[in-house]
Amino acid sequence: MPGVDPWVLREALRRSAPTLVFYLVLLALYLAMPQYSQFIAMILFYAILGQAFNIFMGMTGYVDFGYVAFLASGAYAFSLAAIALSEAGVTGWIFIPVGLAFAAIVAATLASIVGAIALRLRGAYFAIATIGVNEGLRYFVEGANLLGGSIGLYIVKNLKALVGKEGYQLAATLLADLLMFLLAAVTVLVTGIILSSRLGYALQAIREDEDAARALGINVTKYKVTAFIISGMLGGMLGALNWALKGGVVEPAHVFMIHYTVEAIVIVMLGGAGTLLGPVFGAMTYIGLNYVSNVYIAPILESMGIKATGLHLIILAPILLAIIIAAPNGIVGLLKERIKNPRIRSFIT
Amino acid sequence: MEELLRVEGLESGYGEMQVLWGVSLKVQRGSLVVILGPNGAGKTTTLRSIMGIIRPWRGSITFDGEDVTKLPPHKKVPRGLVLVPEGRHLFPDLTVEENLLMGAYTRVGKEDLSDTLELVYSLFPRLKERRSQKAGTMSGGEQQMLAIGRALMAKPKLLMLDEPSQGLAPKIVGDILETLVRLREEQGLTILLVEQNIAQSLKIADYAYVLEQGRVVLEGTSSELLEKEDLVKAYLGI
Repeated sequence: MPGVDPWVLREALRRSAPTLVFYLVLLALYLAMPQYSQFIAMILFYAILGQAFNIFMGMTGYVDFGYVAFLASGAYAFSLAAIALSEAGVTGWIFIPVGLAFAAIVAATLASIVGAIALRLRGAYFAIATIGVNEGLRYFVEGANLLGGSIGLYIVKNLKALVGKEGYQLAATLLADLLMFLLAAVTVLVTGIILSSRLGYALQAIREDEDAARALGINVTKYKVTAFIISGMLGGMLGALNWALKGGVVEPAHVFMIHYTVEAIVIVMLGGAGTLLGPVFGAMTYIGLNYVSNVYIAPILESMGIKATGLHLIILAPILLAIIIAAPNGIVGLLKERIKNPRIRSFIT
Repeated sequence: MEELLRVEGLESGYGEMQVLWGVSLKVQRGSLVVILGPNGAGKTTTLRSIMGIIRPWRGSITFDGEDVTKLPPHKKVPRGLVLVPEGRHLFPDLTVEENLLMGAYTRVGKEDLSDTLELVYSLFPRLKERRSQKAGTMSGGEQQMLAIGRALMAKPKLLMLDEPSQGLAPKIVGDILETLVRLREEQGLTILLVEQNIAQSLKIADYAYVLEQGRVVLEGTSSELLEKEDLVKAYLGI
């Protein structure tokens, strides 16, 4: 088992440390500048999304186009737990650990079912199959009128019943964000442990050449499914915190939106697949560019008479393309190439 | 001599398409056996089925006295059945030494890992010279040596090689085949080789099988087949 070997733990900490420091800085900024707290929380959401997605896509090279289904299943599971507890007359904060555990279990179950079937496919076939899972689940929930059907689940009143009005105010703001920081740290440490253990080496071998990995005696299916489940579980908890606890609403049209999966891919590719700092850099770059193109560049074009909805995306796309062409291994890959000083280099993980 | 590998009535293929129609072959411990055949005869499919990369449909595979027909590759490698796949399949961005260490992935504990590494380096001094070079930057012949070295890191009892001469200059092919002879003589390794290069591989092999359209159409000791070279050539279509 990974994690038993003290060397693996030390190595995992060494690799995780720079990224953890980044999250600490982000946390300090969050606490120090309340006016920007929601902007920072958005970066945090995308950083965790990238980080959790990276565990599977970055390490194995498989693109799961249905990844957002794990976030959705976690959000639904958390909501169901909150509803069940409040209806049973339970009060207090216990719903958070219970809800998160249930979210993790449901997402892991979904991941093991989807993984056991879809991971027999390779490349584009896997990607197509996973889109099908995501869209299929969404239309199943809507069509069969399950879990609130197309309206979804509104759990604000349940949350208020659980912890009171003021408790809910705290839960949906500061507490949800702090828990997200905690989840970010956990995701980074899990990634660090995987990268430092036999599992990580096996996954990278699979990413480089699956046939070679097989010929070397690596149980490729087992490792792929393991990474898929871990990645899905963390995604489930992210969906639970960000949508169910923080948002109080789980709408199928929103939580199954393929947009989030595509953004996760962009963030991982932008930052550097299979690295620890990559998703953080990717999320900051992506959100930053999105903001700049939306708030600064789009108005200039509009003042010149060019008006269109989603104009900023037309500006964003070529910038992203340029970055990917200039840094095909992502920002972290570029830094690794450029920085020769071995001391500084050892921090770029 | 005792039998290390016995394949009986092996049938296999891809999807609906059957490629092997009952292949039977034997490999004695310490021998060097070659499988010859034209393109599409099922040579690679035979090795991939023995290895378990594709699942055999029918027939049996016995290795070292144990029925391994249904075992997946990751359970065969620790038992000493190792394949050097066609086209080498190295990790191009890893260094030579990292590639070699990946070959020892299934070996639990590090007991004599460095001994095996030294053995590979003594067999292929070129790999030692280039131990920290990226595998993808080496010449074809060096890459093939690395692919063989990586397979040796798993401590095979039977080493299977799929067309190691593919795409290499004739002189390098000679070097590679010469290494196989040395491995067999100095290390007592048993080797099952798939080749298109008839003359050179019959020279080093003890026994040969000729496959055509998924069946063994001719077999015999190398000297027998060399005498029937015309027949072999007719089967191979050259």
